[in-house]
Amino acid sequence: MIRKILLLFQRDLKVSVRNFITLYIIIVPVMFALMINVFSPGINDTTVEIVLLEGENPQQEEYFSQFAKVETLKTVTDVEERVLKRDNIVAVLPDGGDGYFILRQGNEPDYIIDYVRSLTAFDHYQIGIEDSTAEIVDYGRTIPPLKKIMVNVALIFTSIMGGMIIAINIVEEKVDNTISAIHLSPVSRLGFIAGKSLIGVFVPIVGSFILMFFTGFRDINYFHAFLMVVTTCLISLTVGFVEGVNNDDIMTAAGNMKLLFMPLFGSIAGVELLADKWQPLFYWIPFYWAYKGNDLVLTSSGTWLDVLKYSGIVFGISVLVFILLAPRIRKGLE
Amino acid sequence: MIKVRNLFHSYSNDENYAVNDISFQVDKGEIFGFLGPSGAGKSTTQNILVGLLQLQKGEVQVAGYDVKEIKNKMFNKIGMSFEQSNVYNKMSGLENLEFYGKLFDVKTRDPMDLIRMVGLDGKEKVKAGEYSKGMKHRLTFARSMINYPEIWFLDEPTTGLDPAIASNIKDIIKEENDKGVTVFLTTHNMFIADELCDRVAFIVDGKIRLIDSPKQLKLKYGEKLVEVEYYRDGDLLKESYSTVVEEEKDKLIEVIRNNDIQTMHTKEATLEEIFIKVTGRGLV
Repeated sequence: MIRKILLLFQRDLKVSVRNFITLYIIIVPVMFALMINVFSPGINDTTVEIVLLEGENPQQEEYFSQFAKVETLKTVTDVEERVLKRDNIVAVLPDGGDGYFILRQGNEPDYIIDYVRSLTAFDHYQIGIEDSTAEIVDYGRTIPPLKKIMVNVALIFTSIMGGMIIAINIVEEKVDNTISAIHLSPVSRLGFIAGKSLIGVFVPIVGSFILMFFTGFRDINYFHAFLMVVTTCLISLTVGFVEGVNNDDIMTAAGNMKLLFMPLFGSIAGVELLADKWQPLFYWIPFYWAYKGNDLVLTSSGTWLDVLKYSGIVFGISVLVFILLAPRIRKGLE
Repeated sequence: MIKVRNLFHSYSNDENYAVNDISFQVDKGEIFGFLGPSGAGKSTTQNILVGLLQLQKGEVQVAGYDVKEIKNKMFNKIGMSFEQSNVYNKMSGLENLEFYGKLFDVKTRDPMDLIRMVGLDGKEKVKAGEYSKGMKHRLTFARSMINYPEIWFLDEPTTGLDPAIASNIKDIIKEENDKGVTVFLTTHNMFIADELCDRVAFIVDGKIRLIDSPKQLKLKYGEKLVEVEYYRDGDLLKESYSTVVEEEKDKLIEVIRNNDIQTMHTKEATLEEIFIKVTGRGLV
């Protein structure tokens, strides 16, 4: 039985890699990881950029470089043109005497200007970090909250992609009319469903681990993460099967899977934006619990009991949905 | 090998039966033809026998297994070639056979042997999606043999194939039958049925009208005449002679001996003519 399930899985994996749409879905987690790394600021990144005259004051350039992104240009005209560009870069230019003036476009946030003014003053009075007496106490968090949210969303998104691959593969079986051939081999219906499901779990698991690794979540409990990812997949698998057996067109099946994005984004908005009194409105959505569980995993703040609680709720809701939809799946596979 | 008793099937779960109280038996090593026009109930019956359709009413045994409680092991003993080819288009012909063969629990044939047998060698690494309709049909046919089936269900095995390939397919069926494989052949092609089948069943409107061997049917329903065309004194003459009346047999011998014979045909009935005579229906 297990051998046949693995055979079906191998076939699906092999064919999925040959299909542009499924190949794209398989590499989506890697693309997510890249995008998150590009668009989310790291803990040491700064958004303050300063442009200086090249070689005018190397000491000042070195000092500024410790606290801001510094760019140097050859002439004042070049600097003026640079400041006029769309971003929030400001220039620090010599005023002809001992001092400097700050050249701005005018629409930069005040905190940037204040920050550059302070830096200029500290440099003038030669105040460095070593002069600070402030003691630093932290919770050891090295991942920015925005990045954590993006990774959490991407993890659930990846699980939906697994369901999408299942839907596409089943539509392919229907279009090629190969389900009847499989039914005439010694593979049970349950074995067929299990074999077809495996890719919908495998792709999200591998994708999620790649995603977490490349976005810097390397010190989390990967067993917790595994449990959350697997249970989150279940609802997508069920919907993937239903869409697969009820559609004869790959694009329609994949398109219908997108309906899952609505409860996904709804529950994230619910968790992040709404007050506690509105939270029960989202209790029926498995992604709501998956998001909360993933949050614990990504912040390494959840115990096994917490993770089991959230994955258990997701599992329970998914099983209920499966029981409701199983007759449609069974009928569609006949 | 196949026992069917009082089989009924209704797609609408009412008294409107697509298969209506049919009974028959297929013995080991026999080629049994299931003949009828489109919509007669041939495919419904076959799909019940192989478990693709749920058995609603009646008793069906295939290869010793009760189809009501179908066991996966039964599929190790049967093979089926579908009328509509159904192979994975994104896999090559060879990959299709390799994959399918691995699903069985019994010894399977070498996929390349099957590829060669149906004349697809040289194309085995081409994706099935790029095959012509006839090539896909041959691949489907080859796949049905992969598990050395004891009972082989063939649904229109030569449909859409050119005469040379169709002839090759018929030879393969005969060879496999000679090795002891029982064949259940569903077709509306009376020529292939006539050529291959030990017995045939005529099915119309869900009911079996008769079951007999093609030879017996011809004897029973055919006319015992020979039609001869010959030249005599420059004129082309055409006459019919009985093959049972002694006087006419003598005349036939005399015509053959003394004239230039152009054509000579026995007037035995074809299966198609018998079918129409028995059922009052054509085969389309």
